[in-house]
Amino acid sequence: MNAIILNGGPANGRGSASRKIRDTAVKEFQSLGWAVRVFDLDGLTIKPCRGCFACWLKHPGTCAIQDDGEEYLRTFIASDAAVWITPVTFGGYSSSLKKALDRTIPTILPFFIRAHGEIHHPQRYERRRKLLALGTLRDRDAEAERVFRGLVQRNAINMNPLKTNVCVMSEHADDAEVTARVKDLIRTAGIA
Amino acid sequence: MNDTTRERKALLFVGSPKGLKSTSHALGSYLLKKLEAGGLATETLLVGAALHAAKDLAAMHEAVAAADLIVFSFPLYVDQLPAPLIEALELIAEERKAHPPAKPQKTMAIVQCGFPETHQNRPACEIMNQFAKEAGFEWAGGLAMGMGGAVAGRSLEKAGGMARNTVKALDLAAASLIGGGNVPREAVDLMAKPLMPKWLYRLVGNWGMKSQARKHGARKTVYNRPYAA
Repeated sequence: MNAIILNGGPANGRGSASRKIRDTAVKEFQSLGWAVRVFDLDGLTIKPCRGCFACWLKHPGTCAIQDDGEEYLRTFIASDAAVWITPVTFGGYSSSLKKALDRTIPTILPFFIRAHGEIHHPQRYERRRKLLALGTLRDRDAEAERVFRGLVQRNAINMNPLKTNVCVMSEHADDAEVTARVKDLIRTAGIA
Repeated sequence: MNDTTRERKALLFVGSPKGLKSTSHALGSYLLKKLEAGGLATETLLVGAALHAAKDLAAMHEAVAAADLIVFSFPLYVDQLPAPLIEALELIAEERKAHPPAKPQKTMAIVQCGFPETHQNRPACEIMNQFAKEAGFEWAGGLAMGMGGAVAGRSLEKAGGMARNTVKALDLAAASLIGGGNVPREAVDLMAKPLMPKWLYRLVGNWGMKSQARKHGARKTVYNRPYAA
C-alpha cells in the first residue's frame, strides 16, 4: 500500500510543526508496512495552475506545465492514502499545499455529473484513496478551525476519497501529543 | 460627492491566473467602474503580475496600504482561492504585521465558480473573511455566484440578459460601498441567483467541453488515463 505525504509547511520558521507531523506520519505508515513518499512542497518547483484546461481538452490527463508537479501527480494517482499537512492559513491551506492541489485538475474529467445533490466533475481514475488532513494553528482559533474542517469536507465531495479524516492541532504541540494525534488519525481512517 | 469620498481609493485585486481575460476581471472591473463613477480613485492589480518580482511585490504592498477598499475577485479553484492569491494574502498579512495599517481599510470578495451551485463558494468567502480578521481589515462582505463559465470572461454588458441579476447585485454593492456601507444582503442574494436553469447549464457545459475537445483533436483521448498503473 502506498501513502503520499504532502508537507505544505514552509521550509523554515513556522514549518517546524509540519515537519514534526510529517516525520511522525512517515514512521507510523512505515511501521504498518506501507511505502511512503514525501513531498516537501516548499522546496519543489510546482508552478501554479494556469487554468488553461489543456489537461482536459488538448492532452487529456497531463498538465501543460512541466515541473515537479508531474512526479507529484503520478505518485498521487498511485496512492492508497494521501496526507495533507499545512499551517491553517486563514482557515484554509498554505499556498504551497494549494499549488499542489490546484495541479490535480488533470485527475478529473471536464464533464459535469450529479453527486451529493450537486454538480461536480467525475474522477478520471478509478483508484480511490483515504484522505487525511492535518492542520496546525499558532493560536487557538475556533472559527479558523471550523472553516478548515468545512473546506476539507468540500474537497472530499469533489475528490471522492474512500474516507476523510481531519485533525487540527497546536503548532506548539509536543512530540507525545503529535504522535498520539497522528496515530489516532491513521487508526480512525481504518489504516492498518 | 463630498471631499471625503473624492479622496478614497479602491483597489481591484484580480486573483485569476487568466488576468484581464478572466470572468473575475469582468465582474471586478464592472464594480470598479461604478465605484469610480461614485468618486473613488481606482487601481487594478493582477495576482500574477503582483507576485512576479521583488519590485512588483513592493508595488503590491504600496497599493494595498494606499487603498481604502480592496476588492478581491477570483475564481474557485479546488473549493477555495487559487494558490497565487493565497500566496499574495500570506504576504499581505505578513507585511501588515510588520507595518500596521495607517488607516481603517475594508476588504470584500467577489467569487465565482464553474459549478451551478453558489453555495460551493462558501469556504472561499469564509477564508476571505478570516483573512480580513487576521490581517486587520474590516470585512465588507462577499458576493458569490455559480455558473461563472457562462460569463466566460466577457464584459457584463456583452453577457446580456442572463447577467441582469449580477449587474443589479454589483450596482447595489457599489452604491452601498460609495456611501461608506458594506455589501448589502439584497446584493448577496441577487448575485447568488442562477444565470440559467441548472439542467441547461449542465447540458451546454458538457456540449461545450465535447466540442472544444473535438476542436483540439482530443475527442478520442478525452478519457485517457496517462498515469494509470
